[in-house]
Amino acid sequence: MTKKQKSIWVFGDYRNYFQNRVTLQLLSKAFDLAHVISAEVCAVVFGHEVDEWIMEYTAHGADRILVIDHPSLKSYSTENYLALIEKLARERDPEIILIGATDFGREFAPRLAKRLNTGLSADCVGLDITDDGLLLQIAPSFGGNMLAEIVTEKYRPQMATVRPGTFKEIPHNYERKAIVERLPLMEKLSKSRIRLIEYERAVVREHTIENATVIVCGGRGLGNKKNFKKLDELANLLGGDVGATRPVVYANWADHKALVGQAGKHIKPKILFSFGISGAIQHTAGLGEADFIIAVNKNPQATMMKMADVAIVADASDLLGSLIKEIKKRIRD
Amino acid sequence: MLNIIVCIKQVPRVTELPWDEKSGTLRRDLAAGMINPACKHALEAGLQIQEKIGAMVTVLTMGPPAAEEVLREALAMGANRGILISDKRFAGSDTYATSFFLATAIKKEIPCYDLILCGAYTSDSETAQVGPQLAEELQIPAAAYAENMDIKGSTLRVRRLVDNFRETLEMEFPALVTVSMEKYLPRYTTLAGLENAFVDSNISTYDADALGISDNAIGRQCSRTRVRKVYLRKAQKENVILTGTAAAVVSDFLNKYENKISAAIGKTIEEKEPGND
Amino acid sequence: MQYNPCMKHKLIRNSVRHFAETELEPVAAQIDRNATFPRNIIEKMRPLNYFGLQVPKKYGGADLDSISAAIVVEEISRVCAAVGLCVTVHNGVAIYPLLKFATQEQKETYLPKLASGEVLGAFSLTEANAGSDSGSVETTAVKNGNKYILNGTKIFVTNGGVCDLALIFALTGSGQKHPLSSVFIVESNYPGFLRGELEDLCGMRANPVSSLFFEDCPVPEGNLLGKSGEGMKIGLATLDNGRIGIAAQALGIAQGALEAAVKYAKERQQFKKPIASLQTIQNYIADMATEQTAARLLLYHACSLKDQGAPFGCEASMAKLYCSSVAAKTTSLAVQIHGGYGYSKEYNVERYFRDAKVTEIYEGTSEIQRMVIARSVLSQLIL
Repeated sequence: MTKKQKSIWVFGDYRNYFQNRVTLQLLSKAFDLAHVISAEVCAVVFGHEVDEWIMEYTAHGADRILVIDHPSLKSYSTENYLALIEKLARERDPEIILIGATDFGREFAPRLAKRLNTGLSADCVGLDITDDGLLLQIAPSFGGNMLAEIVTEKYRPQMATVRPGTFKEIPHNYERKAIVERLPLMEKLSKSRIRLIEYERAVVREHTIENATVIVCGGRGLGNKKNFKKLDELANLLGGDVGATRPVVYANWADHKALVGQAGKHIKPKILFSFGISGAIQHTAGLGEADFIIAVNKNPQATMMKMADVAIVADASDLLGSLIKEIKKRIRD
Repeated sequence: MLNIIVCIKQVPRVTELPWDEKSGTLRRDLAAGMINPACKHALEAGLQIQEKIGAMVTVLTMGPPAAEEVLREALAMGANRGILISDKRFAGSDTYATSFFLATAIKKEIPCYDLILCGAYTSDSETAQVGPQLAEELQIPAAAYAENMDIKGSTLRVRRLVDNFRETLEMEFPALVTVSMEKYLPRYTTLAGLENAFVDSNISTYDADALGISDNAIGRQCSRTRVRKVYLRKAQKENVILTGTAAAVVSDFLNKYENKISAAIGKTIEEKEPGND
Repeated sequence: MQYNPCMKHKLIRNSVRHFAETELEPVAAQIDRNATFPRNIIEKMRPLNYFGLQVPKKYGGADLDSISAAIVVEEISRVCAAVGLCVTVHNGVAIYPLLKFATQEQKETYLPKLASGEVLGAFSLTEANAGSDSGSVETTAVKNGNKYILNGTKIFVTNGGVCDLALIFALTGSGQKHPLSSVFIVESNYPGFLRGELEDLCGMRANPVSSLFFEDCPVPEGNLLGKSGEGMKIGLATLDNGRIGIAAQALGIAQGALEAAVKYAKERQQFKKPIASLQTIQNYIADMATEQTAARLLLYHACSLKDQGAPFGCEASMAKLYCSSVAAKTTSLAVQIHGGYGYSKEYNVERYFRDAKVTEIYEGTSEIQRMVIARSVLSQLIL
């Protein structure tokens, strides 16, 4: 008798699809992990008229799709989806379940973990397989200054939630095929204890430099205002914000609102570009929470260069121009 | 009169705790404690309901004896009663175990509650899991990210913002709500309140035995996850230096790091320069 | 004496610190630069009982012990010494004499409004010719029917520009050896109560310090505090208490300076390492930290004597003398540690430095404190 194949489930969170691609990102990661433990990648989709998602998930790495398509599942309902996935999980015993840490996922995943009597790590910034075949869940703690490596040794499924933007999605391949299991709504869903009264799209939260994921900062090393203004183009390409040092603000190359540093805005970007900045202490004191810093400066000994993850020795303005040109060539939506 | 429970947690005061190289652990003992900011929002929500329609607000926390501090602060802000559950055997619990212990305390000491309020997440572990898992333990309906609550009799309407959708949900008590960090800005504590919190306080402490939690139960309901290692994130920084002509460096840089940038911006930057089209 | 902060003192410190950091920190540098009194922040402090620290609950106060009250002043002063000054003067030398010497009727009339901060209080003894020599007061209060008519000028009145009520020391007669003085509760809306221009000071600039002019100002006889001729007695008792408040204020300033210096020393790199690794800097920090701990214990010792009902004047003077000198030294070292940046208004330490200096001068100069302490020590039969 063949051993039952392991499966890695990814919950299909398709709301806000174009901005939020976390399911596709998790499918890609699941694809990598699946190779190590010889598992299949399985997307789980609940809703109504979900063929579009079935196609996308197939194209992005799923080997199998479990679908329950029914009018009563049209809008997201934590309680209904929990009941369905709990039943499926008990029947099919997945090895791992990955859920995107959207607002929905962060409420949904812990409740599922509790029902399945298993452990869950939230907001993982990394996932791997340990030498003993366990899911290694790497999660931040203490405001992100520490990382913890967590495992769920005895209980199954091993569960983790992951924030959008942590993993990169595999480019789509519409030639791929997956096994699509269209399952019936097995039982009449017991009347949810929560009634949805109203439901509308809300205005997206105001985007400010304080919650920007990508920030491109410029200093006097850029030379002049015209060169500094090129940062706007890079910021637009990367969907980020422009920051400035104090001398640049005083020189009127940038508005005071863009000041970054001890007296300026408190930033915590995933990626920070630093063009032509030497790294005076009032500026660097504000950069402690940037995940990944790329500094560009003619002077390899500048403090900013020492602080950076990647230090590019070049004329800031020249490099900025070349970077913009090259990114434009390579970027795909 | 409504019976409200607010779950609060004491968290270390500083975001950067000193790191003990020898033992490979955080020196948690060095940090003074404070009420987790998100829990303060939950408490504020409870106090606003108390002011509007009248309620008995009990604050509940699980922690070492020093956690009594957060209960006193909550009393100073206006809570009526505080309960601390504390036992060496609770130490090191993950959210799975914590939600079980809290639920046990609630079922035993405050069984006739209407509404449980929790903070969205803690500033130390940030999992945001205890609220939802507590609701599962108690088998009550729950809603997270509440911006607004409306109570009519035993019916609760919650308005919330979830993934750019504004939902209005309705449910019957008993229910659990976790509160948004954007609303319910906590009030400042009055000095008279603090003075009163120590003069005529109403705080009870229970350990595992007092709650009727046997060692067996602790074994069965223990943490499901285990932390194998903790390390400083900053320790991972390399300092890679790139030099050369602008074009070559840019190409080199994008080839090496496009993965990271693509993930952060949600678009794809091709790994190799695309061929001539 | 063991000092282990009890849970209550810790919570009080944390909660006031939280308020100060959230509300005062963002504006502290700007209100100092422009010398503006932050009326809107004062309004936010009112419901939190910051203006009725040791007033009994029946009058709407918090009824705190003296260490708790000192902690409140410390924590506000750590962020903005000028506002800390407003709070300590209001509580320590405007309300305190009422608690000790007022009649029941005076208490009921004035304490609730003072405790709620609806009415801000001031205390004025100092005149152009009467600083340390407070016996040389020239302001007069002449009885006329059921009123006293006040004439004179008081200078350097803390809270002068905004106070609604002031305790005024005036001559009411001539005694055998010394002229007799008395204390009057004077409301700012009495005719003939005039405020001078705000002083342009080196530090504490957000506090509205001004002169007060009395031109035939009529004060009801029911507003005489204590008995006629008790001015000196009330004054000395009040200053004993005021010293505790100023010591707390100085301690708060020193605390802020020490924290800023430590933070900077860890971040600033010279010679390829943080300056905190250099022995000279470490010596400075060791001295600052040690002196601050000693100052704190001395202050809390004076506070607990006061709460026990024991004589505390000498210890209060010691605390004021020592805390203010520690503040002056610590803030100077903090600027030094910051180097050139410490001299710039871009960082806060130059403000701490300017604010600290006056703590060695007002409410009894350090020279006067030494006089008080020496007299006390020399007068004891057995040391």
